[in-house]
Amino acid sequence: MTLRITLSAALAAATLIAIPASAAPRTDLRVGMAAQDVGQLDPHRAVSTIDRTVVAWMYNGLVRFKPGTMDPAQIEPDLAEKWESSSDKLDWTFHLRHGVKFHGDFGELTADDVVFSLKRASDAKTSAFSADFAALKTIEATDPSTVHIVLARQVPSLLGLVTNYSGGYIVSRKAVEKYGADFTRNPVGTGPFAFVSDTPNQSLELAAFDGYFRGKPKLEHVSYRYIPSDSSRDLAFQNGEIDLIYGKQDQAWINRIRALPNSIVDVFEPGELANLNLNITAKPLDDIRVRQAVAYAVNRPELVKWQGTDTARPGQSVIPAGYLGSSKDVGLVNTDVAKAKALLKEAGYPDGLTIKIIHTQLPQMLGSMQVVQAQLRKAGINLDIQVVDHATFHQQIRKDLSPIVYYAAARFPVADIYLTQFFHSASIVGKPTAVTNFSHCDVADKEIDAAKTETDTEKQVALWVEAQKKIVAAVCAVPLAEALQIWAHRTDLDYGYELKASLSLGPLLTEATHFK
Amino acid sequence: MIGFILRRLLASIPTLLAVLTLVFLLVRVVPGDPAIAILGDRATPETLAALRSELGLDRWIGTQYFEFLGHALRGDLGASMVTHRPVWTEIAEALPHTIVLTLAAMAIGCLIGIPAGVWAALHRNGPIDVLTRLLSLLGLSFPVFVSGIFLLIVFALELHLFPVIGNPRPGDWIDGLHKLVLPAVTLGIVMAAYVVRVTRSSMLQVLGEDYIRTARAKGVPRRSIIWRHGLSNALIPVVTVVGLYVGILIGNSVLTEIVFNRPGLGKVIVSALTQRDYTMLQGMMVIYCFLIVVVNLITDISYGLIDPRVKQ
Repeated sequence: MTLRITLSAALAAATLIAIPASAAPRTDLRVGMAAQDVGQLDPHRAVSTIDRTVVAWMYNGLVRFKPGTMDPAQIEPDLAEKWESSSDKLDWTFHLRHGVKFHGDFGELTADDVVFSLKRASDAKTSAFSADFAALKTIEATDPSTVHIVLARQVPSLLGLVTNYSGGYIVSRKAVEKYGADFTRNPVGTGPFAFVSDTPNQSLELAAFDGYFRGKPKLEHVSYRYIPSDSSRDLAFQNGEIDLIYGKQDQAWINRIRALPNSIVDVFEPGELANLNLNITAKPLDDIRVRQAVAYAVNRPELVKWQGTDTARPGQSVIPAGYLGSSKDVGLVNTDVAKAKALLKEAGYPDGLTIKIIHTQLPQMLGSMQVVQAQLRKAGINLDIQVVDHATFHQQIRKDLSPIVYYAAARFPVADIYLTQFFHSASIVGKPTAVTNFSHCDVADKEIDAAKTETDTEKQVALWVEAQKKIVAAVCAVPLAEALQIWAHRTDLDYGYELKASLSLGPLLTEATHFK
Repeated sequence: MIGFILRRLLASIPTLLAVLTLVFLLVRVVPGDPAIAILGDRATPETLAALRSELGLDRWIGTQYFEFLGHALRGDLGASMVTHRPVWTEIAEALPHTIVLTLAAMAIGCLIGIPAGVWAALHRNGPIDVLTRLLSLLGLSFPVFVSGIFLLIVFALELHLFPVIGNPRPGDWIDGLHKLVLPAVTLGIVMAAYVVRVTRSSMLQVLGEDYIRTARAKGVPRRSIIWRHGLSNALIPVVTVVGLYVGILIGNSVLTEIVFNRPGLGKVIVSALTQRDYTMLQGMMVIYCFLIVVVNLITDISYGLIDPRVKQ
């Protein structure tokens, strides 16, 4: 960051704040994010909502979801203008668009950058998403604008891996080699907005990339401001000091912001499904009757009512609704406190029981857990919740210190990833291959594995549905509710597309985004 | 005087050393892991191990400790584990904001607190005294994140006198002053409430002393009794309290900086804590401790200035 750039950015911001709304439409966007600081701007390591949201404005994938959607069927060309695959779907060739430039002086995109990026995304040392790329056998550039990928086995969706999401982002090889470990603070992509500066605890500044291959963006400058205090952020939005704001998955917040003049609340996919993962190997949950009692004691509609009907919907399966392979018909039970008590009695707990669990202090997650706690208490299950901060929570649940883990997540919208990460025995926490299988579930390995290589989509979906049924029957997890993404923007801001979904968890800024 | 300062500075070296050790241990006792904080919920054990070794966290804790100590004694606090920027750079950017805020709050606290305390003492048990005590109780009972938000609603949202987002434009001191007002007042209110109480009771005590009675009997004018004989003696406990209070003030400045979104040590330390940025946390704690040592030193020196007996 140079002083000159900071000063000019600040001056630009200042003049634009001072200009009354009657002048030409503004071209600087001010975003208020619930954060102290951005974490990782290296797209292959960006995992938090804070990082993902802004990374999506700077990078592209080979293909992309149509802006505003997350429907795999609507994937369209991005850095690749066309592609073809062999009939067994193991052999893929991508033809790159010509004349795509990287930000700054890093020149034109070549197949070499793509090969470098995908290899980097598959390497556990450089990527948080390496597990997703395990099926990639070879990645080569056959000529400067052609990339050839060979798969070791079929995957449910190769295109899903090379979209503008997680490990699919393409970085500049030269920039990564130049900056080394500092690449995370010097991001270089091909997207509509280029990194200008980052002032920790203040803001991240982006400028329109004039050489963007889809044309010069209409917004000239984006200021991504870190405003950790919820009330200050809301007040700044209300006072017109920011145009786009990270919201809360909370009905009261939505109602309050909706009532403000000049503001629109965005409610969009993906829904993050919260599951109560029950460790089927830990006492007393190793008794299926105790787990069934938990399932009967949970009251989803009540939970949704508490979270807010605009943002939450009841979980319908152990994977989120709308994912390819998700089904409503997996045998979830409805609330029945009497039945829960009877099951506990049968399991040898006529007077109920107490289970000690660890949970995060994040207000939203803690509140939901307290509602669940009250529900379970009615059936005689007392949750003794030990509240720790979020980083500690993540560390301790991975050490199997909590027999019940409340975990909310959204993943790529295909059943395979959620099923594999949360319910395949290879993903059990503590194993070298661990991901997030906190319930030690291993009942549906056969179906999950078979579905991975099934080429007939119908049969593949049937296998995924079967897997969900088995997981629900074994009560590895009890689905609670899905919470949608909540942001708000001022009425004069136009995204340039209809925002129904965004896998980067924040509104995507494109070349078309502008002020009216 | 110079010998006194040097002795005090030397005496603070063991304190700082103990603090360095304690900080190193404390930061590591807090559960949570920088690698998980950085890589998030999708990281595989392999990825986490790779990052831990990159950050040097896989080495024996003793090695890490001596390395930290060695570097710290040479004035090298290392680089942030998250941002990769030198800890000194982050501190150099944040520290002035915190110092300015703290000084402004102290000034507001003293300018309101001392006269009000004297006034209350002179009108002991009268309506003015009761009102002052009531107001100071009110000032002490509201945490800064409540009074801060209240000031924002009134002066930013309703009256449009100040912005909500308070990070000043670099190099523009008028803008800096403008954005300093609300946070400084928020922090200053608590300080003033504290100073009022101490000044009042100290003043009452002094006014009851024999030498004041003697002065009165000798016909020394009332003004001179109050300000020259009374206040100058009553100020010693006040200075102690103000000095001690700087610690609390710095603590409260963390909350104030978050409410007003001001850059400063407080914001940096909270973000380092949530991200388990060990090097950053260590560096910040060292600076905080150093600040407290310096403030105590200044307090001691000011005793000498107010009361010549202390120097001897």
